[in-house]
Amino acid sequence: MRISRKWLSQYMDVSDLSIEEMADRITSAGLEVEGVERLAQGTNLVIGQVEECYPHPDSDHLNCTKVNVGDEVLDIVCGAPNVAAGQKVIVALPGAKLCGGEIKKGKIRGQVSNGMICSLVELGVDPHSLSEEQKSGIEVLDQDAPVGNKDPFAYLGLDDEILEIGLTPNRSDCLAAFNMGLEAGAILNREVKLPEYQGAANVGGKTNLHVSSTTEKCPLFLGKVIGEITIKESPKWMKELLAASGMKSINNVVDISNIVMLETGQPMHFYDKDAIVNQEITVASGFDEDYVALDGVTYHLLPEDIVITNQSKPIGIAGIMGGDDSKILDTTKGLIIECAIFDHVSIRNTARRLNLATESSIRYQKGIEPLAASKALDRAVQLLIEYADAKMIEETVQYGDSGYTPVKLSCTLKDINGRLGTDFNVEEVKDVFERLHFEPVYEDGNYTVNIPSYRTDIEGKADLSEEVIRLLGYDRLPSTLPLMEMTEGKLNDKQKLIRTVRNLYCQLGLQDCLTYTLVSTQKKDNAILGLQDPIQLASPMSEERRWIRTSILPSLLDVVSYNHARTIKDVNVFELSNVAGTQGTRMHLAFVLSGLLQQTRWLQYELPSDFYTGKGLIETLFDHIGISAARVSFEANTEDVVHFHPYQSAKILIDKKCIGYLGKIHPQYAKETDCKDVIMAELDFDALVDIKKAKIKFAPISKYPSVQRDLAFVIDRNMPVKKVVNIINKNARYNKEEIIRNVEVFDVYQGEHVAKDEKSVALSITFQSDTHTLKDEEINEVFENILNAIQTECNATLRS
Amino acid sequence: MEPIETLQQEAQTKIQSAASLSELNELRVLYLGKKGPVQELMKGMKDLPKEEKPIFGQKVNQLKQLLSSMIEDKKVELEKKEMEAKIENEKIDITLPGRSPVLGNAHPLNLVKQELEDLFIGLGYQVIEGNDIVDDLYCFERANIPKDHPARDMQDSLYIDQNTLLGTHTTAIQMMVLEKSAPNLPIKVVCPGKVYRRDDDDATHSHQFMQMEGLVIGEKVTLSDLKGTLEFMAKKLFGQDRQIRFRPSYFPFTEPSVEVDVTCHICNGKGCPTCKGTGWIEILGAGEVHPNVLKMAGYDPEKCSGFAFGVGIERVAMLKYGIDDIRHFYTNDKRFLETFKRFD
Repeated sequence: MRISRKWLSQYMDVSDLSIEEMADRITSAGLEVEGVERLAQGTNLVIGQVEECYPHPDSDHLNCTKVNVGDEVLDIVCGAPNVAAGQKVIVALPGAKLCGGEIKKGKIRGQVSNGMICSLVELGVDPHSLSEEQKSGIEVLDQDAPVGNKDPFAYLGLDDEILEIGLTPNRSDCLAAFNMGLEAGAILNREVKLPEYQGAANVGGKTNLHVSSTTEKCPLFLGKVIGEITIKESPKWMKELLAASGMKSINNVVDISNIVMLETGQPMHFYDKDAIVNQEITVASGFDEDYVALDGVTYHLLPEDIVITNQSKPIGIAGIMGGDDSKILDTTKGLIIECAIFDHVSIRNTARRLNLATESSIRYQKGIEPLAASKALDRAVQLLIEYADAKMIEETVQYGDSGYTPVKLSCTLKDINGRLGTDFNVEEVKDVFERLHFEPVYEDGNYTVNIPSYRTDIEGKADLSEEVIRLLGYDRLPSTLPLMEMTEGKLNDKQKLIRTVRNLYCQLGLQDCLTYTLVSTQKKDNAILGLQDPIQLASPMSEERRWIRTSILPSLLDVVSYNHARTIKDVNVFELSNVAGTQGTRMHLAFVLSGLLQQTRWLQYELPSDFYTGKGLIETLFDHIGISAARVSFEANTEDVVHFHPYQSAKILIDKKCIGYLGKIHPQYAKETDCKDVIMAELDFDALVDIKKAKIKFAPISKYPSVQRDLAFVIDRNMPVKKVVNIINKNARYNKEEIIRNVEVFDVYQGEHVAKDEKSVALSITFQSDTHTLKDEEINEVFENILNAIQTECNATLRS
Repeated sequence: MEPIETLQQEAQTKIQSAASLSELNELRVLYLGKKGPVQELMKGMKDLPKEEKPIFGQKVNQLKQLLSSMIEDKKVELEKKEMEAKIENEKIDITLPGRSPVLGNAHPLNLVKQELEDLFIGLGYQVIEGNDIVDDLYCFERANIPKDHPARDMQDSLYIDQNTLLGTHTTAIQMMVLEKSAPNLPIKVVCPGKVYRRDDDDATHSHQFMQMEGLVIGEKVTLSDLKGTLEFMAKKLFGQDRQIRFRPSYFPFTEPSVEVDVTCHICNGKGCPTCKGTGWIEILGAGEVHPNVLKMAGYDPEKCSGFAFGVGIERVAMLKYGIDDIRHFYTNDKRFLETFKRFD
């Protein structure tokens, strides 16, 4: 919304306020002034007359002039092609500050030049509002322009300042200058006087005009025939107001329709009476055809568009643009006025589809106050009579109604102060309502207010409290904390577990990441541990963002390849995020390891990011959160051998239930993702949340010494070492006490000195009792049993 | 000179000049050993006249003690020297880099999210999270956003079907919390989450971002309580000297609605590029919960009231750390992520 100082000055006296002061106060009351614009800028200007003009002796395009500026005659060198003796012009005197810089006394190619003859472009006037002639040369004023006048902007009507106001959606009423005037008056606490125009359209004789609608998208249509009008130039004030609103003046009649729209917020359309056959206008929909609008462009209408028709033929796209056939021409003799309400959603869709954002469509989209149509018609008739010699006016024809019922509200002072936490008194609040023209009555501790028709945003007490605080000022709001019963601030178990895991993995050297939820079809198809039935968006922004992911890993692999491409090595990352499918949302934990996890090169210390590091990260995680190693197993992955290396990957099971996958990337998939040799894992984090976890409990520490025995043997290469360890643990008892406290693998070897299909394994077993110091015989007995068991059950050959 | 004195002098000199523990040990054996001169003197005592024996014996004993203690002292001295020599030999270059373990750190958005959560937990709030996919009933209808609002157009939000979409604001979670809690009081929750908008990604826009909304409902929770709460938050996030101000605004789910500015933490309100010279930075939107919202959830707006606020996690992180491009958060460049070791 653009409103100028001059426009506001029609309604109230703001001569004591600078434009910045007005902007500040209007902004603090909730109508954000996003910018202040001046129509023209420059200091030290004067109107002068060119007395002499002759070619510059040393230039083929410059002229030397003598310009009378009232109190002296200045030598000025001028480069404009249109300069000539006798012209009245705008002169920037030495010291003048213009957009382009400061004007100084000087010489141009040897000739004295003590000023500048200006074009409007040089004075900062918006080139869009200028003709080609004005843009390419100096501004030539009328011959009656007063030489010596030091305010040429006022002479030209360019002395206006414009507030650019960003309206919140609830205040589209302020798109109407009348309403904006009332609002500004309330904010600035001024008496506002709007033009008297009510009832101006209640004149006219019999009419043959017939208006109707065959679509429910037009609840109200006011039509009126003005039999005779005179097309001519608009008065100066109209031109100035239009210019300040960024619109061009066309002729008096078209300008009136625009001025009325700007004043009341109601778009209206004037048809050439003679172009409307049988004086019949019907609003309809259901067209599917091409149509040429008054901008000369062909638009394709669709059945959902609202169309204005005459004799079943489109003559306008309702609320957006009229037609070429019925537009106002210089030869137009009479008018039919259209003043209607259209469904704003429909207007929005049509305007967007046709890419047509007109002043009219913007207003319809934002919603128009219910009484705007009748206000606009009154005002238009008034202006047409005054400025277009309107005669032979016929009575108004109405289809439908506005559906408006006045709103009356009541509230107490306590309602207001109670919501705000303030201490305003009766008079202060009443004053606010008065300023807003709510006609407050205060009786028995109760305010009764009548809400003006244009304030459709005011529906109840809460809205009234906002009016009070925004007009009395938010700086008067105290700062307190809520007084209420104590509540416990806390995270739930899942949130705590998320933090535990995030902290743990960060401490173990992994970097926490966040990647997008929406992924491409390719990533969706490459889900690992993906949920069933992926979800796609109804209308995705792009192919890259079509699907809601069911797995994190494809995105995390992107992170790794992105970093690798920038020669960043050792990328070890994890992410905890929700994934979703039609069956629901799950939280997943995923990590990708590459290069080394830890390293100090000069000490030859390194921890490679290999399968066993990945496995260790998972084992440590489980142990840390209370899932004992006995409940966990890693089994060969036979399900997903597309993404994982079939011989270096595992299913992760807790209590025999698969909750994730871990492994080296398949070389083929590595090629596709640019992620050579990475280790990756994805786990169902919600499963970890739900699973029963051990509570921490103190167990007495044995007072007796522990004994270690080592054991080395050769077994089949494909025999899992875990099987041997399980056998050992099964034989851990002596006299019902488990005396094996730890089994540690300390060497696995295959290669030279070991047969091709065998491997050599060395274990270290720790024995300890809680009741006594173990004797050799006791240990030997258990140890022998173990040796026998692994020889028979695993076909192991002992090594000495 | 008597033989004792001679011996004493000779031994003393030799002990003093012993250069190593082994040499000293040799001297000990030489002088104090069973075949040494002191022992010889003791043996020779039997040939002395009876009256000289005690005196002689005393002298020899004194000599023995003297030499012993001299050797002992020398031993301590030599041991110390040897230790020193050994230690010196063990000198390392302490300027070489340590074997420092690589540590990861929380993603900056998680860092800010956790900080905000903790701050409100300290004030007695619960943290409630929801799903990214929400019913448009909660995302819009219950938040007092009418059916014909542009955000509810299939073209403007990321819809999955007629009724479900990727949440456009965490307000959706709050509306579910409200409905679940009704008619119990009080409610004090913060709801962090990922939200989605139909925006093309550029330096200042992201189709996905994180928000945290707060909701407090009680018998008399006022707009000034909102101000106090947000002032507390602003100080925690941006420093104790911060002040806030409210500017009127509009959100369908709050009335009155405000935009909240905080004094610029870079220039302390004097004006700088970060705050575009105004001294103030917009950080969030907030307001008193709209009576319609309470009514729809099952509360009587005459009997309770409350406030809600929504803060952009990216916005806080960008302001706090001076990050100029929102896409950094989702690119996950290791060099970027590693910067955020702690909240500060």
